[in-house]
Amino acid sequence: MRQLFAPGADALLRLALLAGAACLAALPVVGAGLVRSSYVTGVGVAPAQPVPFSHKHHAGELKIDCRYCHTTVETQATAGIPPTHTCMTCHSQIWSGSEMLEPVRASYAKDQPLVWTRLNKLPGYVYYNHAVHVTNGIGCSTCHGSVTDMQLTYRANAFEMSFCLDCHRNPEKYVRPKDQILNMSWSPPANQATLGPELVRQYHIRGGERLTECGICHR
Amino acid sequence: MSGTVTPLPARAGLLGAREDFASIGRAVTGASAHTRSRAWWIAFAAACGLLGVFAVTLAWLLLNGVGIWHNNNPVVWALDIVAYDWWIGIACGALLTSASLRLTGAAWRSGIDRIAETTAILAAAAAALYPIIHLGRPWVFYWTLPYPNTLALWPQFRSPLVWDAVDIISFLGVCLGLWYVGLLPDLASLRDRAFEAVLTEAEERGRSRRLTLLKAQVYGILALGWRGASTHWERWLLATRTLSALALVLVVSLQTGASVMLAGTVLPGWHDTLLPVTFLAASLLSGVGVTAALTVLVRRALGLEALITERHIALMARLMLALGLASAYCYATEIFSSLLHGDAYDRAVLVRRLSGSHAWAFWIIVVFALLPVQLFWFAPFRRSGLVVALVGVAAAIGSFGDHFMLLIVTLSHDFLPSSAHPYSMGAWGLATLAGSIGLFLALLLLGLRTLPMVSITETRRFAERHPDGRPSGERAPTLAETAEARLWGISAEFDDAGALAAAVKAMKERDLGARIETYGPVPMRRAADILGRPAGILQFLALGAALAGGTAFMAMCLYATGFDYVFDVGGRPLFSWQAFLVPSMSFGTLCGGLTTVLALLFQNRLPRLNHPAFAIPGFTKASEDRFFLALEAAGPRFDPARIEQALARLPDGRPLMVRRVPL
Repeated sequence: MRQLFAPGADALLRLALLAGAACLAALPVVGAGLVRSSYVTGVGVAPAQPVPFSHKHHAGELKIDCRYCHTTVETQATAGIPPTHTCMTCHSQIWSGSEMLEPVRASYAKDQPLVWTRLNKLPGYVYYNHAVHVTNGIGCSTCHGSVTDMQLTYRANAFEMSFCLDCHRNPEKYVRPKDQILNMSWSPPANQATLGPELVRQYHIRGGERLTECGICHR
Repeated sequence: MSGTVTPLPARAGLLGAREDFASIGRAVTGASAHTRSRAWWIAFAAACGLLGVFAVTLAWLLLNGVGIWHNNNPVVWALDIVAYDWWIGIACGALLTSASLRLTGAAWRSGIDRIAETTAILAAAAAALYPIIHLGRPWVFYWTLPYPNTLALWPQFRSPLVWDAVDIISFLGVCLGLWYVGLLPDLASLRDRAFEAVLTEAEERGRSRRLTLLKAQVYGILALGWRGASTHWERWLLATRTLSALALVLVVSLQTGASVMLAGTVLPGWHDTLLPVTFLAASLLSGVGVTAALTVLVRRALGLEALITERHIALMARLMLALGLASAYCYATEIFSSLLHGDAYDRAVLVRRLSGSHAWAFWIIVVFALLPVQLFWFAPFRRSGLVVALVGVAAAIGSFGDHFMLLIVTLSHDFLPSSAHPYSMGAWGLATLAGSIGLFLALLLLGLRTLPMVSITETRRFAERHPDGRPSGERAPTLAETAEARLWGISAEFDDAGALAAAVKAMKERDLGARIETYGPVPMRRAADILGRPAGILQFLALGAALAGGTAFMAMCLYATGFDYVFDVGGRPLFSWQAFLVPSMSFGTLCGGLTTVLALLFQNRLPRLNHPAFAIPGFTKASEDRFFLALEAAGPRFDPARIEQALARLPDGRPLMVRRVPL
């Protein structure tokens, strides 16, 4: 009698089943990879800015203090984006004819702020406070990376909830002494295991369940 | 009496007197022709209209949120959860019916089990949408499942939201597994009838139409190359029983889990210790009610009066009566115990249920679920299909009243006068319900048109062999054709499982250099026994997988809540193992069910679309009314002429036809 299916049909069916199973297994893997990729998180991608400002040059090579521009980082929730006037404190005197700085001068002349492309964004329901962190042992570079090495500024970390919780669950791994807060190349010293808990005590950080309460970040 | 799974003395009114293997197959596979009518199209258009209502409602829901259902404090669970519980109750009741009838070996499951399983799947499909759409943000429904996420969080395993997600996935998995495994031999029948149509067309017109061939091939792929070998049948019987046992555990866990969930709250009226039993009885009543109504519908609409008999209908009616009485007992006990030893709040809930603003819900239970079944004390009502169908639908309506009363009347007023607020059903809530009914009906109508709604295999357990022992009409390949070709083996055709078994016995005693296998339309227990190929350890694999899956899920919950994501929820203990038991049980049965299906397919080496056995002349009859003995060449002692001689000299019962099968 005739066969309903040719001998090759089984190979095709198995291939189709395997392909289907592989696709099904690949779907979550690809999805999980995609949401963690720079394409979605923007980590390491320097967007175009009105002026190609270099943190490496200003903060790294010229050693201008972070707080010279980000004035409110130790006192307020936001660190503060400097107004054009801050730029002009120097650039009214040096590189005052530079073509690259034309938008800065125009902004100053028209009294209209420069519109920077924002890098680090948190959702509206996250209440983050810079002052609380930098005055309690968390340095700039823990979140923003080694900014003094960035020719053009980019996002160093995807601010996903797991990133915040890493530290909120184990603050002793990340706290630094007061004089290291602005050190952009800080890495945990060899004795962090003993130093960390000591610092946590000094800063009066209540770790564990207190720092992981929902209401600490979400109100 | 031959060719039956278990020898039965008589048909006992469960099968028409003139039915045989072939006529049963023809009746079921040809039943879909009855749906090519205007009535079907009108019903389908109506169901699609309801589906359209569903689509509009869901669009409005996505735009506006769950507020369109009038959910608010204190009635946070309104029609969405009522409808979900109602649908899953129907699904559980129907699945429990099918599973327990199979496990107890009740003969009258023949006409009913497929319909019950289909009811369970369709009701579960309608239910499955609710846990998703009742979320504030349905597009992130996967947040209810544990997966490696960027939030560094686990789902809250103490929450019924997670239970529902795991439960419904497990229910659909186990239920689909049971339904599909049961369907495999029937799909093979559909494939073979369609293939016969292809061959007839090819003979008449020179070549067959592409669409006819495509239909046969689609059924062929769905049947996964089922060919009815004796060992396959033995494993199939074991697999369906294993799946039934898992379904039984799952349903009991699901329904009692729902009452545990209610008991986990502090609301009055949700703490009666009889509540799990009340849930099970009410769910069974509604499930059997819908199954009975659909049984009557299938019987009438598909012209299957000979396969679904009056006795089936009458037995369903008796079952409904018993369950109605059990339900009435549960309600009465609840009321009685509230009056006897309930506190003031408990009694207040009772008074609100019986005479509050939503008292109609209670009286719907009485009028639709508890009273109509009392008709079945009288035989004439039990025999009337119309009455049974109407009472079945009424039981389902009564069950809706039950879920409404239990959730909404209780929620609308707790201990504090300040937290009592009235609730009224909105048009959108009712539209969502109507839409989910539309989904159920549309899928049902499609099923009626394409799939066998009565299990051919189960019905054949009562049938005898074909009374007319003609050999199949196909021309045998002559020696000239096969002499040169390599032989796969020799086949012998029988019309009787007894003769087949005798032939197997005779052939097995001789060393013919051949591997013996038998193929037939029903399980061939005697042939399988003689061949000595046991069905294997499928049930232990399933048990192992179920235990491992359940333990793994429980371990995951304990690790998550006790170590990795320690979180104080109103002072509840870290290791709330009682709360984790419900999803762990569900997940365990899902693992067991999947293992059973995969093990069945693997042990049977399926899917196998192209197999030498399909080349046996007239093999399409192996799914109808013929039994084939195949002696596959295996070893140097294989000699076709000697085997043909041996077959011709069988002591009792010569084969209808002996053929050489080329490779």
